[in-house]
Amino acid sequence: MQPHKFSYLFLFFIFSFLGVNAQEEFRKTAPSAGPAPKIEIGNYNLSKLKNGLQIIVVENHKLPRVSFQLFVDVPLHLENDKAGLGSIAGSLLSAGTKTKTKAQIDESVDFIGASLNTSGNGITASSLSKHADVVLDLMSDILFNASFPKEEFDKLIKQTLSGLSSQKDDPGAISSEISGRLRYGNKHPYGETTTEKSIQNILISDCIKYKDDFFKPGNSYLIVVGDITNAEAIAKAEKYFGAWKKGSVKIQKFPDPLPPVGNQVYVYDKNDAVQTVLSLTYPLNLEPGDADITAVSVMNQIFGGGSSSRLFKNIREDKGYTYGAYSSVSPNEHIGYFTAGANVRNAVTDSALTEFLSEMKAIREGNVTMEELNAAKAELSGRFGRGLEQPATIASFALNIVRYKLPADYYNTYLQRLSAVDANAVKAMALKYIHPEKVFISAVGKGSDISSKLARFDNENKVRLVDNYGNLLIPKLKMETTSEIKMEPAAIIEKYIKAIGGKEILSTVKDVTTEMTATIQGMQLSMKNVQKDNLKLVSSVSMNNMTLSEQIFDGTKGKITAMGQPEKFVEGDDASELLDEASIFPELFYGEKGVKLELVGNESVNGVDCFKLLITDTKGKIKSDFFAVDSGLKMRSTVTEKAGEQSATIIREFGDYKLVSNILFPHKIVIKGAMPAPLDAMVKSILVNGQVSDDLFKIEK
Amino acid sequence: MEKVLSFLLFLITTGVFGQTQIEFDRFTLDNGLKVILHEDHTTPNVVISVLYHVGSKNEKPDRTGFAHFFEHLMFEGSENIARGEYDKYVSRAGGALNAYTSQDRTYYYEFLPSNYLELGLWLESERMKHARVDSKGIETQRAVVKEERKQRMDNQPYGTLMEQVFVRLFNNHPYKWMPIGSMEHLDAASDEDYKQFYKDFYLPDNAVLTIAGDMDRNVAKKLVEKYFATIPKSSKPIYRPSIKEEPLNGPKRDTVYDRVQLPALIIGHRTPSQGSTDFYAMEMLNTLLSNGNSSRIYRSLVDEKQLAIQAGSFQFPLEDPGLGISYGIANMGVELTDIEKAIVEQIEKVQNEPISDLELKKLQNQIENQFVNQLSSVEGIAENLAVYETHYGDASLINTEINRFLAVTKEDIQRVAKQYFNEKNRLVLFWLPKAK
Repeated sequence: MQPHKFSYLFLFFIFSFLGVNAQEEFRKTAPSAGPAPKIEIGNYNLSKLKNGLQIIVVENHKLPRVSFQLFVDVPLHLENDKAGLGSIAGSLLSAGTKTKTKAQIDESVDFIGASLNTSGNGITASSLSKHADVVLDLMSDILFNASFPKEEFDKLIKQTLSGLSSQKDDPGAISSEISGRLRYGNKHPYGETTTEKSIQNILISDCIKYKDDFFKPGNSYLIVVGDITNAEAIAKAEKYFGAWKKGSVKIQKFPDPLPPVGNQVYVYDKNDAVQTVLSLTYPLNLEPGDADITAVSVMNQIFGGGSSSRLFKNIREDKGYTYGAYSSVSPNEHIGYFTAGANVRNAVTDSALTEFLSEMKAIREGNVTMEELNAAKAELSGRFGRGLEQPATIASFALNIVRYKLPADYYNTYLQRLSAVDANAVKAMALKYIHPEKVFISAVGKGSDISSKLARFDNENKVRLVDNYGNLLIPKLKMETTSEIKMEPAAIIEKYIKAIGGKEILSTVKDVTTEMTATIQGMQLSMKNVQKDNLKLVSSVSMNNMTLSEQIFDGTKGKITAMGQPEKFVEGDDASELLDEASIFPELFYGEKGVKLELVGNESVNGVDCFKLLITDTKGKIKSDFFAVDSGLKMRSTVTEKAGEQSATIIREFGDYKLVSNILFPHKIVIKGAMPAPLDAMVKSILVNGQVSDDLFKIEK
Repeated sequence: MEKVLSFLLFLITTGVFGQTQIEFDRFTLDNGLKVILHEDHTTPNVVISVLYHVGSKNEKPDRTGFAHFFEHLMFEGSENIARGEYDKYVSRAGGALNAYTSQDRTYYYEFLPSNYLELGLWLESERMKHARVDSKGIETQRAVVKEERKQRMDNQPYGTLMEQVFVRLFNNHPYKWMPIGSMEHLDAASDEDYKQFYKDFYLPDNAVLTIAGDMDRNVAKKLVEKYFATIPKSSKPIYRPSIKEEPLNGPKRDTVYDRVQLPALIIGHRTPSQGSTDFYAMEMLNTLLSNGNSSRIYRSLVDEKQLAIQAGSFQFPLEDPGLGISYGIANMGVELTDIEKAIVEQIEKVQNEPISDLELKKLQNQIENQFVNQLSSVEGIAENLAVYETHYGDASLINTEINRFLAVTKEDIQRVAKQYFNEKNRLVLFWLPKAK
């Protein structure tokens, strides 16, 4: 029986093994694709009104909605000391007409759930198709009757200034501002930067002139997309824009901006940045419709166009330096550009830059593989195909054909052109358009971490510091310290003690009560500090008689209360900071406590030459104090406080020393780093030896 | 009269929607995988998506950031897909892929030329059946996620706003942490922790597979069976927290210092869960306050008083009761207390006076417009179907949810304004510039 049983089991085993295999073998390899579907490009209609306004209509009745774009092809021009004019003038268009206030326009748009926007390049609006006439009526009213009201203009200027200010902390915005300036220089319209000053130079009359100069039917297009027929669209165009008067616009030419002769490294020092925005860019000549365009886009796709590209695979997936690394090559009728970049952690900024540059070299010198080539072509054709879902894509094709005088079948033959691109063409494009030795390199990040490591990438072996608009900063002259003054650290402390009253007098102080006031965000803060026996402390901050925070230390235990947080009780080591704070003149005890002092040099504090002392207490906590060389007084104290991962450097500057009970106390203390803006604390009163009761320091749980 | 009016509006709207019904098939495999198929032959492309019903809310308090971390790991490959190849299959096919993680879900999708439908199903089935979770991938993605956090949050003005509001409005519920989670937790986690998370949540009975676009639904159905039917279902109940928050006992006030130039005033309120009756009334309320230039907060703060360069109000649609934010970014030289006063003034106005019929009609028109626009791409349709099925229990809401909005009355809006925009339910956050 045994063999039988065995063979039965064996067969069962084989059977089930085969069974599983047969069922799951298909998972081992990717399934093959079916026959490629045909990609069809939707139709568009072109027509022109008598006044020269060109009309592009793409019908699409899938959803009951329609969009209208009145696109004004404003010619290239300089705004000079009024940079930002086009944007201000454009926004102001919808801020009122002869018959409607801004509020009325807003109300009409919102009531039908529509959207309407104006810019320096025209007016766009979209709505459900049943409301088409309402939005067209508004568009035409704005075009013909914009009233440029003063009140709205002032409002817009104020908001724009606030907006510009808010950009100063956005590393991405700073980086693109700097890249643009580097790429185009300050003589080309594309390189103009909008600043607080240029916005303030703009007048209402400039806005009116902007519209009068550039808004003409002959250089404008009405692009209609959606649930509307071509005939309806043309009739509406005539009705709402037929009365637009003809006129000519002035065309100007500008010399092409040039790439740098060798690599140049620019740094914007954002000392609080936790990451560096790294950007590589240069201008290049590449117009829409150029014979190179399709092959260039394949080359860029392989290089850095997406998440399968070399930059992403190397810098993110292999090295883990960044969340994303990409490149692009952008054609433009006037001047195009190349850009590549990533946000990387400070410590690897130089390593990441090395990778960018070596990938640039590699794509010029090596050959792309067939796999890379085919994947890139597939990605581009896929993107093209997916884009066709939106009728707006067809409208943009039509606009490009008309605007750049491309062949009428330019987009219909795109896939053919794409499939013809081979590895040789890609290499030719890399050699022509990728220039790792002529790059404007910019880094927005923590200067002290990155600058020294980046200099070697610059052809003059230096970093060029710029402001947030890309203007070169003139290096600050260093304070003259021709003859460095030296003194024993202990002697500096002694001199300070002597200067404020002398050891004898200071030793008689049992308690000090200090009251100070400060203003923050328009609110009055009161601060009160009571120290006793160099052991006990009450320190509180209040606003309008409401206590915001309070610290009490009775010599052994402490209690910390801050508004909105539970009370915190501390003891032992956790309370050591409170003990330090309780010390009235801590310098008296440096010697007996074994505090370490080190003179690290001379520095100026608000114009006063000082000794800078590094002071390390027995627990290893470090602060830097600055004592005036002449007067011996303490001018500044700097300490870095840590709370979890966060750390903040608190700077206190002392001034306005005045005598109280024969001791010099500072009566003005500027605190920086703890609050959003420097906090100017003014001493209201100081009471020495006021016989403060011990009850004040009692801690109740 | 009211009722008649809203009934008429209802008729008008359903009239519009008669033209734009989204048709779909829906079925469930034996292993619990829900499948939704929507045919649309406009262009020869197809979206294949899987929504896993796991988000940061399903994480342990000492292992936060896992759901999002998995979104990264899930592109590392599988038993049959080598490391670094997952996205290449898609790019070689001319497709696109992406994913995101929220508090409640993780969503993956491929958008492919329609002849690659089967490839998309294979890729998603590999992810569900036996994704690659190994130390090499974990190491790399730890570094990448840290950079993602810096890029999106720490190095971004106001980038930690959500985090700072959620952590103050929730004490116990997992909504108190963000999907990106804690970098320390990610560092502390072992490879085993990660593998277990995969086993716990990446299961067919915890997912909805949606296919939308150019395909034959019968063919698609067979392919779905082929790739997904043999993936085993969960062996134990899937962890879903049922943590209730105690009342907030507000108002809570606090200050955050950030690398910003302009201070901002943030008001947070706890809000009802998505899909509930009150949720729709709250949506209408927020539309009233901040949708469009004529909305109340925008007009008052930005336009009339010029206190803010930007101001608004919105709620997070979340499965459990969540929160809403009303905010203003200060114009230069404006005190935050004035912004607070102005926002509260608008809130109190809704609480005290019913809105007009005209305003209600405006809100309904705006909602109608949004509804049409959310149907403009198959990507959006696929995602909406999956979200409605997972979080609302019914994909057909893609066609009918608008009726829930239109059923909201003026009284409802006033009532929820009182109930949720209540001081006891409020956090006020001063967002101030940090000194350099």
